[in-house]
Amino acid sequence: MKLTAKLKHISISTRISILLGLIILVTMGIFSAVSLMKQQRDSVDALSRSTLLLSQTTEKILRLSMLKNRRDEISTAIKDIVENEGIRSVRILNHEGIIKFSSRHSELNEHISRTNRLCTNCHVGRDSTSIHAVSSFYSYHFDERNGIIYSSLPIYNSPDCYNSDCHATTRQEPSLNIEKPGIGPEVHPVHDSSQTILGFIEIEVSAKRIMTNLDKSRSQLILLTILIALAASTIVYFSIRYLVGKPVRRLVDGTRRVAQGDFNNDIPSGEAELGVLVDSFNKMQRQLLSTQSQLIESEKLASVGKLADGIANEISNPLTGIIIYTESLIAQSKLGNDEKADCQTILQEALKIRESVRNILSLARKEKPRFVPVDIDTTIRHAVSVLEKLSDFRNIRVIVSVPKDLQHVSADPGMMEQVFLNLLMISSENIAAGGILNVSAVNMSKENKIEIRFAHSGRGIPDNVLHALTKQNAGPDFENIERTKISLTVCREIVALHKGRIYAGSEPGTATSIVIELPA
Amino acid sequence: MPRTMKILVIEGEEIILKSITKALKSGANAEYAVTTANTALDGLRLIRNSTFDAIFVDAALAGLNSAEVLRRIKNTSPSVSVILMSGYLSGISFPDEASRDVDGFLSKPFTTDEIRSLVSRILVERNGQ
Repeated sequence: MKLTAKLKHISISTRISILLGLIILVTMGIFSAVSLMKQQRDSVDALSRSTLLLSQTTEKILRLSMLKNRRDEISTAIKDIVENEGIRSVRILNHEGIIKFSSRHSELNEHISRTNRLCTNCHVGRDSTSIHAVSSFYSYHFDERNGIIYSSLPIYNSPDCYNSDCHATTRQEPSLNIEKPGIGPEVHPVHDSSQTILGFIEIEVSAKRIMTNLDKSRSQLILLTILIALAASTIVYFSIRYLVGKPVRRLVDGTRRVAQGDFNNDIPSGEAELGVLVDSFNKMQRQLLSTQSQLIESEKLASVGKLADGIANEISNPLTGIIIYTESLIAQSKLGNDEKADCQTILQEALKIRESVRNILSLARKEKPRFVPVDIDTTIRHAVSVLEKLSDFRNIRVIVSVPKDLQHVSADPGMMEQVFLNLLMISSENIAAGGILNVSAVNMSKENKIEIRFAHSGRGIPDNVLHALTKQNAGPDFENIERTKISLTVCREIVALHKGRIYAGSEPGTATSIVIELPA
Repeated sequence: MPRTMKILVIEGEEIILKSITKALKSGANAEYAVTTANTALDGLRLIRNSTFDAIFVDAALAGLNSAEVLRRIKNTSPSVSVILMSGYLSGISFPDEASRDVDGFLSKPFTTDEIRSLVSRILVERNGQ
């Protein structure tokens, strides 16, 4: 169990490199073994063939000497041949298996066993009459253990041999010692014409050199195989570590970070499949981040909305009292002008509170508009009438010019009034006493839209405030509550809800007009 | 000379009752008679005992659900005009089917002009019927 648990922790790079090393070792081992065997066979074959050639040449050279029974010549020739490198011994046997000539003097006239290869090549068992079906009597035997090739070439009977009497004559020479047992010294041909094979020339050749070379090749191949396996394993090990291990480690670190709630660190992009994985991981991380921030944002909005709702309800009742009682005071004729002006200031500030709270609520609640046909002229005039009593408005002239045939728009009247109130207030705050505020509307029949323009004589609305109109990624910024900015944000959101457009009508820095386009 | 319009205000907040009374009575031609009720039950009792032209009801009355109050008002006095008051923006927590029986909305805080023009509009509509 412990071992399997340990094996599980072996890295992919280690596993693959060990596997590759083993595969290389096995395949190259098999290949080497096969090729060494073939090499050995080929070498032995070649050596055997050359031995056969040597045997044939020897037979041809010695044939006359044998016919003439010149034994010295034969012995000398054999001696000469054996002096050549690699030739261990040469011997000539007669058909009975008696060694007639040999480079090894000790074995002369020895009788080879009937089970000797030379006999059993052709003869079956001890029966001298039954013969194998053989295509050639030439044979060789490779003694692998000692590295020796035994090559035996038959000496075939021929008319020369059984007709010639020279041989027979020479046989009578007493010095010769070639008689078969039981054969007398009569004069007759030595060989019968019915004999096929008279004897053999057997040559022993050393294959030591071949074997040594093969051993050397074997060691070299083993060494080479091990080196290649090691090198390949090492290369593969480090490649996988670099190409797979490193990016995987980064991904693992990344998932740990994400698990701990850190979505801000992208993993450096990689290559191939793991690169794709890394990219999709980064994408997932960004999506998680954006989902998380959306969640946080909407939770924040929800709680701000609840808070704002609570505050708004608490404020609404006392504020109603302030507004109504102040208006009542202003309406009383017995008040002096100074007192009236003071009351107007109170009223103005109270109405500002009302609009601010309304704006914050409309951002926090994100209400859906209830669309009805709206007469823009009435809505604008109503908004103007609400503000007319304010002291800021007392000192400026508001000119409303709306054509009688202005198309109605499909809108939420409350929201539209809120937009107009906000824009009227912003404009009035940027106009010096005696200035003019022009509110105009026109049909844009071609585009099936209407355009409403709030233009004033005075200083421009500051850029940093106007940003609220163009800010992308809409959403209220509660950390920077500034009344004008919130007013403009509300305008932008409401106009967007109505599929319209709101923008500053003049050059940045000197904006003295704000334009709203609404679909008719 | 037009007859005096009878108006009932059902609202838990004293300052709203006072403000509406002041706004509707302080005008040059004060032709409104304003009665106030602090609770829904008081209001409903008043409706049973006398006739009103218009009733202001707070959307967030303690005790009874405002939809239930509206239903009872309409049961007792089907022809009366009903104006629903709520703190800022209207109809947030108000079911659509109930708001169909409402003749007007008044968002708090409101100005004298706003309440007066709303009342005149509703009374003009009633007279036109």
